Amino acid sequence: MSELTLVEAIRQALGRAMTDDPTVLILGEDVGIDGGVFRATEGLYQHFGGDRVRDTPLSELLISGMAVGLAAQGFRPVAEIQFLGFSYPTLDQLANHASRIRTRTRGRLTCPMVLRIPFGGLIHAPEHHSESAEALLAHIPGLRVVIPSSPAKAYGLLLAAIADPDPVVFLEPKRLYRATREAVADDGSPLALDRAFIERPGADLTLVTWGAMVRDALNAAEHLAAEGCAAEVIDLATLKPPDMATVLASVERTGRCLIVHEAPRTGGFGAEIAARLADQAIFALKAPVRRVTGYDTVMPLPRLERHYVPSPGRIVRAARDLMAFQ
Amino acid sequence: MTTPRTTFALPDLGEGLGEAEIVDWHVAVGDRIVADQPLLSVETDKAVVEIPAPHGGRIAALNGAVGDIVRVGDVLVEFAEADAAPPDRGAVVGELPQAPPAPPAATPPSAAKPSSAPAIKALPAARRLAAERGVDLRALGGTGPGGAITTADVEAAAGGRAAPGPGFEPLRGVRRAMAQAMTRSRDAVLPATVTDEADIDDWARETPVTPRLIRAVVAGVRAEPALNAWYDGASQSRRLNPKVDLGLAVDTADGLIVPVLRDVGGLDLAALDAAVAELSGQARARTIPPAALRGATVTLSNFGMIAGRHAMLAVIPPQVAILGVGRVEPRIVARAGVAVARRLVPLSLSFDHRAVSGGEAGRFVAAVIADLQSKS
Amino acid sequence: MRTTVRFPITLTSYLDAEGKAPGELPEFARGPAALVPLYRAMVLTRTFDEKAIALQRTGRLGTYASALGQEAVGVGAASAMTERDVLLPSFREQAAMLWRGVTLVELLQYWGGDERGSDFRGPRQDFPVSIPVASHFPHAAGVATAFKLRREPRVAVAIAGDGATSKGDFYEALNLVGVWHLPAVFVINNNQWAISLPRREQTEAQTLAQKAIAAGLPGEQVDGADVIAVRDATRRALERARAGEGGTLIECLTYRLADHTTADDASRYRDDDEVSRHWHGEPVARLRAYLGRQGAWSKAEEEALITDCRDRVDAAVEAYLALPPELPEAMFDTLYATLPADLGDQRAALAAEVELGDV
Repeated sequence: MSELTLVEAIRQALGRAMTDDPTVLILGEDVGIDGGVFRATEGLYQHFGGDRVRDTPLSELLISGMAVGLAAQGFRPVAEIQFLGFSYPTLDQLANHASRIRTRTRGRLTCPMVLRIPFGGLIHAPEHHSESAEALLAHIPGLRVVIPSSPAKAYGLLLAAIADPDPVVFLEPKRLYRATREAVADDGSPLALDRAFIERPGADLTLVTWGAMVRDALNAAEHLAAEGCAAEVIDLATLKPPDMATVLASVERTGRCLIVHEAPRTGGFGAEIAARLADQAIFALKAPVRRVTGYDTVMPLPRLERHYVPSPGRIVRAARDLMAFQ
Repeated sequence: MTTPRTTFALPDLGEGLGEAEIVDWHVAVGDRIVADQPLLSVETDKAVVEIPAPHGGRIAALNGAVGDIVRVGDVLVEFAEADAAPPDRGAVVGELPQAPPAPPAATPPSAAKPSSAPAIKALPAARRLAAERGVDLRALGGTGPGGAITTADVEAAAGGRAAPGPGFEPLRGVRRAMAQAMTRSRDAVLPATVTDEADIDDWARETPVTPRLIRAVVAGVRAEPALNAWYDGASQSRRLNPKVDLGLAVDTADGLIVPVLRDVGGLDLAALDAAVAELSGQARARTIPPAALRGATVTLSNFGMIAGRHAMLAVIPPQVAILGVGRVEPRIVARAGVAVARRLVPLSLSFDHRAVSGGEAGRFVAAVIADLQSKS
Repeated sequence: MRTTVRFPITLTSYLDAEGKAPGELPEFARGPAALVPLYRAMVLTRTFDEKAIALQRTGRLGTYASALGQEAVGVGAASAMTERDVLLPSFREQAAMLWRGVTLVELLQYWGGDERGSDFRGPRQDFPVSIPVASHFPHAAGVATAFKLRREPRVAVAIAGDGATSKGDFYEALNLVGVWHLPAVFVINNNQWAISLPRREQTEAQTLAQKAIAAGLPGEQVDGADVIAVRDATRRALERARAGEGGTLIECLTYRLADHTTADDASRYRDDDEVSRHWHGEPVARLRAYLGRQGAWSKAEEEALITDCRDRVDAAVEAYLALPPELPEAMFDTLYATLPADLGDQRAALAAEVELGDV
């Protein structure tokens, strides 16, 4: 079994899905001959041919729209948008069509498509290449939003997303693309969607996060353990619909919750979790529910971006504040 | 443009035809139409003919149903008045709700009274715990950030009790208070008891006992102020209280409560009698405020009203003494070498031996007995 | 300097405004019997249209977009398609949808606000009405890609209005149809008005058909009030597509004789005289005149058709009004293939609200 980076795990998943299911197609800009600007589709064009791995012209709207058409005809298109910052033209097709064609035809037409989009910052990229706007997508009814945090998760969740009969936006934390390696067997096993994962158990504080922040949260948990605080780290993985059962059970045990996300604060997905905790975990709370997030500013350029993205230190300090509520 | 007429009649269709059958209407009431727009189709002998509107306008009425025979000159369509156009609905899809006419200006509501009590800063888990354990949040100070009451604060106030087992009901209210007080007593006090009796046979009939007992306690305190002190074991320090705030043990349906009569040294027997009566009434009615249950400097327990002669009572810190009074009854005693029946009051003084010596206790009791044995 | 490429744009018409055919008709139209079904279909569409407007006015239908004057576009284009082709309509293509087998009741359900109206019993793969302008052109590109991948001789036909040709969706999809040689036909119902914007203010391009040239595709204009011309142009485009020669853009010149929708009042922005002028030569009368002149359509047949259309529409209205409404919980039941557990509570909460009867 080889050790794979996250982006290699994605490629492995795509290859597996394409092999096992002839209706799976890949489309997007530079996904074919070039193997994708992040090499997520490396070698797939050469292996499966240009019918199934298609380089499209430059138009995000078209890519997402034609995926709707292909999906309605029984294919499973996996379309790539190169950066979340360029994906806003797809919102029309996602919100007005992909997410609702099943319900508006009462099941006659469906949309089993996946839109893969790298997102997030800290890769020293030029403007618009570092966005985190998962909350915009999670707000759309009828859509799933899934975010892996490791190579193994990327493999399993992407397979599940491709196999799912409904549209999934698969957001890939690009700063993790090559950051770690782990053994990922190419066994075709999907991970469950709509399920959160407890990455580290703990009795004192619940840390809820996703994507690249999972690593930082685990890092913070290590520091906190040395201070006598056992933090439980939960990787939400599927933002929409969220596995609140896991989160609630954890907060019932710990009584404290800190939600961490890179995306801006106001209207971020952390607000949704906080609202649900206020509703369903109110009696368990020993401390306020707090969020450690990006600021409500435009994502800064590389010189300042490390101040924007929550660091393990910021997480630790926020956790200490919650632990002060004994 | 010709002046719009308000009606349109079936025109001469030519070829000597005087009438036609309506086959279909192409417009409906309310439609706004233009000149040349087909209004209806009629069937003549020769053909089915569409009849166009001679001018534009809004259809107010259509005369004739499908299948009716209409004659040339019969009014088919009535147009609305030129200015009868419905108001602009202001939307290209759907229907916007229209604002109703503005109501008469309402008097603005008076500013809401600010809530009187500031909110208690307690976290939800703390609140739930306090409710479960019967802890009064208002009496707690919070040690959490910003003075918030935490679950730890509630636990401490609850005495760190464990959760009750199956079938066990946690104590509440008065019973709970007694359990807490007695636990504190056992944990802190070194109790000792001296017993004796007072001969009250010479009292006038119907003398109320409790006021005489209270006066006797005051006499005892005057003789030995040490018995009216508060003792703090942690600092091994003592406070001699100048006034006697007497805790009077009262048995109620809910259990034992000990309301406090303030400064009984300043009250005569009549005033004491009235105060005791009032207090007893309040106790039974459960109208005694929490403040009246705190701050006793010495306690009197007339348990003899129920049963019992002598007893070793619990001293409730920070107090150092409690005088217990048993059942008043005639007994045979020796007087001048002769056996006589006299009404006796059994007395038991329990005291905290950390703060009170045997001698002090004895002298207190002697003073109590001397006061009780005086005729009035 | 030399000219690199030149592109002609042609305009085709067979029946003039009076319904006369000065030139030779395309083969399919030479026997008038072939045209009668087209005439019937246009009359049915118009009858439905008139009824829909009346229903809206009496509160029994929601906002409705009339196709008055444009019946030949839908009938002409749809009648050239085969059952296995796929139609992607905009919101004004009742004529095409009815021809394709969408029922009158389904149309009433759709415009009446009931999603079941898009669950077509007939053309199972046709797309539902696309309200966002032009957003179905990329869908058509995807559908055509599916056909090409599976090597099926099927074509995706998308119909939209003149306003749609200003949108990015249109250009991007057209571009893909061109560069991937997709079997797609884009039919533009140029009825001269995009709500209140007249065609001349929509684009500087002299024709909408020439926008195809930018995508490397053939584009042509046809007289949109001439069902023969529309049918013929569509037929040729479909043949091209099936032969692997790629897509085509057909611009049908028509006129929007009614308001944009029942909530619009066109007198605010356009002249009644212009509208009146366009009643002259409108598609239904035009074909009726031709058929009558050919002796292929009698008074009795006209009367019978009017009655038949009216009866069918009335029956459909009755059936539509009698339909039991869906349970409100239906808004959850086909949202996903399987409702996520997270939404189960919400569905139950709605059911409880409905039970209370307090909406």
